[in-house]
Parts: sequence; C-alpha cells; structure tokens
Amino acid sequence: MPRAANHGGMNQLQDRVALVTGASRGLGRAIAIAFAREGARLALCARDWAHLEATADVCRELGAEVLAVRADVASATDRERLVTLALDQFGRLDVLVNNASTLGPTPLPLLADTEPEAFEEVVRVNLTAPFLLARAVVGGMLLRGSGLIVNVSSDAAVNGYPGWGAYSAAKAGLDGLSRVWAAELAGLGVTVVSVDPGDMDTDMHRAALPDDDPAALARPEDVAEAFVRLATGEAVPARLEARELLEVAR
Amino acid sequence: MIDTALPPLPPELRASRPAARRGVRRDHVRLLVIDRSSGRVGHSRFDRLPDLLGPGDLLVVNTSRVLPAAVAAVRASGEPVQLRPCVRRGRAWDALAVQVASPHANVALAPGETLHVGEAALRVLERRPDIPLLWQLELDTDADLELILRHGEPIRYSYVPEPVPLDAYQPVYASRPGSAESPSAGLPFSWELLRAVRERGAGVADLVLHTGLSSYQDDDFDREHRLYEEWFELGEATADAVNRADRVIAVGTTVVRTLETAAGEEGRVRPARGWTRLQIGPGRRLRAVDALLTGMHEPEASHFDLLRAFLPEPLLERAYREAIAAGYLWHEFGDAALVL
Repeated sequence: MPRAANHGGMNQLQDRVALVTGASRGLGRAIAIAFAREGARLALCARDWAHLEATADVCRELGAEVLAVRADVASATDRERLVTLALDQFGRLDVLVNNASTLGPTPLPLLADTEPEAFEEVVRVNLTAPFLLARAVVGGMLLRGSGLIVNVSSDAAVNGYPGWGAYSAAKAGLDGLSRVWAAELAGLGVTVVSVDPGDMDTDMHRAALPDDDPAALARPEDVAEAFVRLATGEAVPARLEARELLEVAR
Repeated sequence: MIDTALPPLPPELRASRPAARRGVRRDHVRLLVIDRSSGRVGHSRFDRLPDLLGPGDLLVVNTSRVLPAAVAAVRASGEPVQLRPCVRRGRAWDALAVQVASPHANVALAPGETLHVGEAALRVLERRPDIPLLWQLELDTDADLELILRHGEPIRYSYVPEPVPLDAYQPVYASRPGSAESPSAGLPFSWELLRAVRERGAGVADLVLHTGLSSYQDDDFDREHRLYEEWFELGEATADAVNRADRVIAVGTTVVRTLETAAGEEGRVRPARGWTRLQIGPGRRLRAVDALLTGMHEPEASHFDLLRAFLPEPLLERAYREAIAAGYLWHEFGDAALVL
C-alpha cells in the first residue's frame, strides 16, 4: 500500500472528543495518536493497561487531553464505566471508533472445530459490544445533530477465508449493523460507517497469519490517516476500504 | 403538603419492573391526558403524544445520566452500610446511610468514624444541619465517580423486588452523568417517537439537572418534603428555544425546577448553571413552563406537590382517582401523565 500523505499537525480535530476502543496497540493506538496530533480530546480504552498507558502518554506528549480507562468492551459494567467517565470528563462525545476486536483462539480453527464459547466471545467483542457502545453514545449525538461512529471491519466480512469463521461472521454482522444505523440515522447529522482497514502489520495479523511478510503489509499509522479524514467530516458511504480514502488523500 | 383526602395508592399499581420486561415497548405505556382548559381527563398511549403537539410546541428533556448511586461501604466495625450520595462537590459528599438489606432503614453513623468504599476512605463529619438524615462525608480521593461506578448499583425501592440493570433507568438520550435516580419522565421516549415529535413540527431541547433522592427512607421525614440543592445546566440554545416557543412542555419535574430557576420575573429564561434550591408547590406562578409531561407520583412525593402548581386541587384529585380506577401503573417504570 502506498504511504499516505501526511496531514499531521493541522489541528483538524481541534476540540473534537473521540472515544477509541482497543487503543493499546495496532490500529487503535495509531488512530489515537493520529487524532491527538490533530488536536482531538481522547477517551481511550483497552484491557491491557500497560500498553494503554503508553499510548495515552504518547498522545499527551502531543498535547492531547486523554482519559485512559482499563475496560473490556465485552463487559456491560466496563462499558458503562467507560462511557460515564468519558461523558463526565468531556461533556460529550463527537466520534466513536469501535476498533477493539478479537480473533478468538489462534491458530484459527475451522468452523467445525470452533468451540461454542469461543464463537460467542468473538461475537460479543466484535459485534455486540460495538452495537451497545454506539447505543450508549448515540443519544447525545442525536440531540446535538452531529456525530460519527466508525466500526472497524475487515475484508473477512465479505470473503470466506477458512479458519476465520467466527471473526468473519461477526464482522459481516458489524457491516450489517453499520448499514442499518446509517439508514436509520440518515438526515439526522450522525454518520455511521464500517471501514475495512486492509491488511496491516499488527500483533493481531501476526497471530492470525504468522507466515505473512510484515514488509509487505501496510503500517497502522499510515492507515490511521483514513480515520482522520473520516473524522474531519467527509461524506462517506456506509462501508468503505481505508485505502479508498487514502488514495484520495495522495 | 400531604392531602389526606387522597386515597393511598393500591400496592399492585406500583410498577415492579421496566416496561420492556412486562412485554411492553417503552413508548407504549399509557398516557393520562389532563386538559386544564376543559377539565377533561382522557386516556391515550405514550406513542400518540405527537398527535397532541404541533409547531410552536417545545419539549424540554433532562439528559442527566443515572449513576449506580447505592454504594457499598464498610464501617470501621466491619459492618456493611449502603451510602446514597445525593450532593457531590468534589471530595465532599452529602449522603444517606442505610442498611444494605431491604427495607434499607437509616443507619446512624458516628461523627469522626471512617468508612471504606473499596480502597477509598470516607471520614464522617456530621449530620447535615438542614436535613439531618444526610451525612456529610469527606473523601480521600478525587475519583469519586470511579468509586460510585465500581462499587455502586442502581438505587432500587421495595416495589422493585428484582435487580434491574442500570441501562433500564436511562432515558434513550441520557448523556451527562450525575443523577442519583432516574429522571424517569423521559424513560418512555424512544428515538422513533422523538423523530415523530419533530416531524409534527414541534421542537426538542435539552438541559441537565442531576437528580437527588426521592426518599430519605423515613416516611415521616419524607412527608416534610425537605429539598436540598441539585446541580443544573441550561445552555444558550435551549434558553433561546424556550423563549421562542409558544408552549413549553417540561418532560419531568426536574425540567420544571431548572427552567423556573433560570426564569426571570418576566418569564424569559437565561442560560445558567449551578445549584438550585427552588421548591415549587401549590400557589406558585410558573414563569417559563406551560405544560408538564410526568411520571406517576404518589401523593406523598414532593413531585406530586409540584403538580399542584399546575393543577387545581379538584382536577388533580379527579385525575388521580381516575388513574387508579383505570389501573395506571406508578413510579419510574410505570405510565405517564400529560398536563396541558
């Protein structure tokens, strides 16, 4: 993938408040840092506190106000805590990036070998949690008549890769969710979109496909620029691939 | 004050669980419509509210988000106690202290003793002079919201026997966290209904008032209707919308309290934020609010007293008796009433 043009440091997200889940590493971390560079105020969550704090520190060094919350998006009490603390600190949320995601057990099992509990866990994290987080924050967005909800999807949502059953089903569901949200909220000022970031050099990718050559993969920090472009308010379809936006950006 | 002419509420009319758990959509609860000009009391359903609205009407909602404000604490003796903080100013709480088990009778703390909520220590200062059932506490942490979120559960009264998730206490538009109890007049709204309201040409505006407690867990004390301060915020956009509207319909008594606090003698509302101690009861001339959409409150509640600012006693009594005869459900998960 070609490197994206750098629009950094223009304060394009000045005073916007963004909640990014799964911000401790990979794409979530890169989005948080890219948003911080553009002046956003950030609520970040992840299960891994040490890596989350490291991300938060980088964002603070860039001048961002950051709330870091250790939270598992699959937990109802953690979600409530996350949203409540974020709304208390910032008063509102302008952008929600549902990025937290799980592959389930690796090496990836065939569907016929997938344990029921593992399937349900993947659906809880990758599909149910994004729905419930969106539901928790959309009220304020609708009253203000503005907001953006980005669901991080995957090409596994539209392709049948062996071994990716639970993940694929959940991401396909997430795309469906984005489409219905978008249809229901059309004209009300709140945009909901699924974004397929493409293959990236992340811990998750290495766990799923350990034989892939990292050098051939996109870097999360490049892909994160697509999310900045979304958050700055471009009109978007209900589903897109990050590279489409990045190609426009070049 | 309490009017002994009104019969008590039959216990079976206390809604014991959220509408959705009774198999009823949140916006399909019943709506008692009290028309002051004709004196008519009618019966409708909440989702038909838009039929009663039109251009020039403005619904004002309270977007305060409910906290799990029944907080588990431990006394120095090891005895568990439940704290219900209702006035929070940083490290200072005014809180009710009650037994953990229903019926949650008041607990007499000792000034100077230290309570623990998780790792945090709370020093008991003294009883609040104007409301002696409330205890003034000093926290050793700034993260009081974290304490509540980690160690609290929703305040639940005896007519709700089973635990209910916090989400069921939040109106669909709940946003700024801070209420001890649900601003429950808003619970029957769905987004579909709010959309229908706007399609009728009516407006929807919002403000914040963090609710306190509806009961001190003491019947005699509750009848005195002693109110303490509640924090509110009314923004410029809402003030403008209120001042432009032909008819302002407050969604809940908290909205009445806020708008009347922010209204000048001439009836114009100004943007404002802070603490309000305004008490509204019979004989008070309302300056900013023209109509009220409310939950069903028992005659003993201070909310009911506020209804007397809207309704002459004979009409209020007739509406109350008619709602009981028709089997309306009461309290936060019950039906609703519209006073036009």
